[in-house]
Amino acid sequence: MLSRKRASFLTRSIAFAAVVGLANVAHAEETEQALDYTAMTPEALAEHLLFETNSFRLDQPVQEGGVARQRLEQDEIQRACSNIDGAAPDLETLIKVREMAEKSIVYPDKIELGDWERGREYAWSGFGFRIGHNNDDHTTREAGGNCYNCHQIGADRQGGNLGPALFNYGKNRGNSPEMLRLAYGIIYNAHAFFPCTDMPRIGYKEVLNQQQIADVLAYLFDPESPVNQE
Amino acid sequence: MKRVLHALPLAAGAIALCLGTLAHSGELQSPTAVLQDLLEKTNSLYLGQSEQNLMMMDDNPSLWTVEDGEELFHTARGPNNISLEECDFGKGPGVLKGAYIELPRYFADTKKVMDLETRLVHCMTTLQGFSSDDPEVKQRHGSDSDMMKLQTYIAAQSNGMPWDPQLDHPMAKAMLDAGEALFFRRAGTLDFSCNTCHGDTDKRIRASVLPNVNSPEEWSKAISWPAFRVGHQHTRSSQHRLRGCYWQMRQPGVIAGSEASIALLAYWTDRARGAPAILPDMKR
Ligand code: HEC
Ligand code: HEC
Repeated sequence: MLSRKRASFLTRSIAFAAVVGLANVAHAEETEQALDYTAMTPEALAEHLLFETNSFRLDQPVQEGGVARQRLEQDEIQRACSNIDGAAPDLETLIKVREMAEKSIVYPDKIELGDWERGREYAWSGFGFRIGHNNDDHTTREAGGNCYNCHQIGADRQGGNLGPALFNYGKNRGNSPEMLRLAYGIIYNAHAFFPCTDMPRIGYKEVLNQQQIADVLAYLFDPESPVNQE
Repeated sequence: MKRVLHALPLAAGAIALCLGTLAHSGELQSPTAVLQDLLEKTNSLYLGQSEQNLMMMDDNPSLWTVEDGEELFHTARGPNNISLEECDFGKGPGVLKGAYIELPRYFADTKKVMDLETRLVHCMTTLQGFSSDDPEVKQRHGSDSDMMKLQTYIAAQSNGMPWDPQLDHPMAKAMLDAGEALFFRRAGTLDFSCNTCHGDTDKRIRASVLPNVNSPEEWSKAISWPAFRVGHQHTRSSQHRLRGCYWQMRQPGVIAGSEASIALLAYWTDRARGAPAILPDMKR
């Protein structure tokens, strides 16, 4: 037999559930339609626009596997180095970035110079990883390192100036094992030496692999390389 | 681009016509003169980097696009057989003079911040009755598209005027601030943000001198779209430029008219505030 008390408890529960249910619906509608952009921080609104507003082709497959969305998701270093106005972050953050970058570098057992002629092409080529429209097809052509976009390297081709000129790099620095290790590290993840640098993490992001980096090192350090003939 | 090629010998005539249009609306300076004034003021490497372009600017094939757009704008079209003269670009129905330099802005009828392209789509679909799948609306790129003709015509009615995107509504300010965060946000395979390449003067990617977002004079030319891109042999839009930027950054393709694209355009227009627009411009 159902006591009166229990019956009323049941009806109250049902009523309660209904209220909760309605509230959930109302809440969902609110976030769908009436998200108040003016009440959000610029950063929160930026994240919302990036991921929730159909602003980008997020589902497109990408060369490294997975989908384009992952390219927009920031890792810790990207987030730490995204200050508005391009201002450097505080010292503590810079130290943390440097440490994270240092730990990320995978060195080969012994750093040897590869083939400078191939290295020259990797340094020159800006092909690779472009998506959205005209996706770069890595099955028909290897990705390059983009170095000339930012660096003047050999005198025969024009390079950019977002980074320092690298004329005579090996001739000036010598090719001791320590120097090669340093240059390998810079190419792999330059934040270990210049935290929040503009230089991309060519090794860490698998733009170039160990062998390709060895070829680029040859281009920079081999006495036969035109880089060292200026 | 056959048409442009055989149009070139006739370009001088086109200039006279276009200047006629501009003079008609009370604006006498040519886009070339606006650029020359900026160059004299700044001596900027970016502004002066292409002497050849400067010499060719009086024969800018985009001036033909302006003309094509003028005709289209005033023609009754679409299922509703009506011209765009009733379209409100922010300064009242049919007012084009100075409308473009005040965009993006907040529109009360849609409760949205809109750029030129988005507003144009809005009027073509609501006023003229086109569907968003009709080629008139869907085809966004190329000098032969209705979209580029109309945008180039409307924008040219702001040539020489100082950029002045409207921020009276809090939504416009919120979008601008989010656009700023997007501009500095590093991501993707090469860790780029827009600021990696546009934060300083006299920086180059290979041979191209980059415009500095902190210099209103340089940035004004950078954002002066529609422009004829000599390398593409087409008149291109702001949205097309932005798409190219994301492609170059190895980040996902940005969708024209999306909220993120408008936030970025709100920020990039604000950074040129006060400097005169060069419309239509000509770029490498
Ligand atoms: C987007 C720009 C960019 C790209 C691409 C780039 N670099 Fe750099 N690079 C820099 C910057 C900026 C620095 C200076 C470091 C700093 O102070 O932040 C630098 C520094 C260096 C240095 C150290 C220079 C010195 O003073 O000893 C080397 C070596 C170097 N880069 C090599 C390369 C190579 C090789 C590639 C391609 C595989 C490359 N860079 C790609 C921007 C770039
Ligand atoms: C890796 C470097 C790089 C990055 C990152 C980059 N740009 Fe550019 N940008 C360029 C280059 C190079 C040009 C010149 C295009 C040309 O000459 O073909 C350019 C051109 C432009 C122009 C037009 C100026 C002109 O003369 O054509 C605008 C506006 C612009 N970029 C905005 C942006 C925005 C916004 C972002 C980020 C979403 C961005 N850029 C990211 C390198 C870059």
